[in-house]
Amino acid sequence: MLNKKAQVGESITWVVATIIVIVLLLIFIYASILLSKTKSLESSKENSEYSFDWINSKTQIAYSINDSNKNKIEDWISKSNKDE
Amino acid sequence: MNKYIKDKRGTDKILSIYWFVILTLIAGGVFAMVYVFYGAPYDVREIESEILAEKIADCISSKGIIDSEFFIDGTFNTKIGENFNEKCNFNFNVEEGYGDTNEVQYFYEVEFYTLEDLANPAFNFYNGNSNWEADCFIKKENDKEYVKLAKCTEKRFYALSGEGNQYLIKILSVIGKSEKNVK
Repeated sequence: MLNKKAQVGESITWVVATIIVIVLLLIFIYASILLSKTKSLESSKENSEYSFDWINSKTQIAYSINDSNKNKIEDWISKSNKDE
Repeated sequence: MNKYIKDKRGTDKILSIYWFVILTLIAGGVFAMVYVFYGAPYDVREIESEILAEKIADCISSKGIIDSEFFIDGTFNTKIGENFNEKCNFNFNVEEGYGDTNEVQYFYEVEFYTLEDLANPAFNFYNGNSNWEADCFIKKENDKEYVKLAKCTEKRFYALSGEGNQYLIKILSVIGKSEKNVK
């Protein structure tokens, strides 16, 4: 009878250990699923202080030729379809 | 006594099998993690649409002056849109096998505005699959739900014609390709 108790105790230890391993694995797999959804390369122009806006440089070069109506042009450029 | 020895041998065997099962489980788990993470594609459409818009802008103006091919006798050359891809060395026929209809995965539109009328374009042309354009005007309150919509980039800049007329140019570039970029 005593032997059996020891066997049951040992078995429970292993069962619990197995469950912990499986749960940990599931947590890591779920985490990797969440991480995989963040795999997107977005423009760093807005965030980087060293950014260079190629399109804006075209406007600046054009200003060096003719900068009349600059405010009107700047207003229009700063708008986007979302604002209109 | 003999009975106990036999029992112990059995326990060792069962324990070995158990360890193999655990090892297989962990190996399977690691495989699943790597497969899920590295199997997901990078979504590069936003950057792709930005690059397309910049290439279009390069093709339209250089050093602040709009290319002379855009004008004929002081007015806009209405046929520029037809051969704009060739002029800019754009080749959109490199992608194949998208969806059931093999539809073109790109769209771009260029609009020229004068300072006198900033609401209506004086001239415009477009190329590609215009079905994608509608995706740009859908309000994306929760990006996760709209991840399969086309990615759009709008760029605006100022340039002058050869005669010194001022023009404001708006470029809308759109990239579909959700099947390749979104899982």
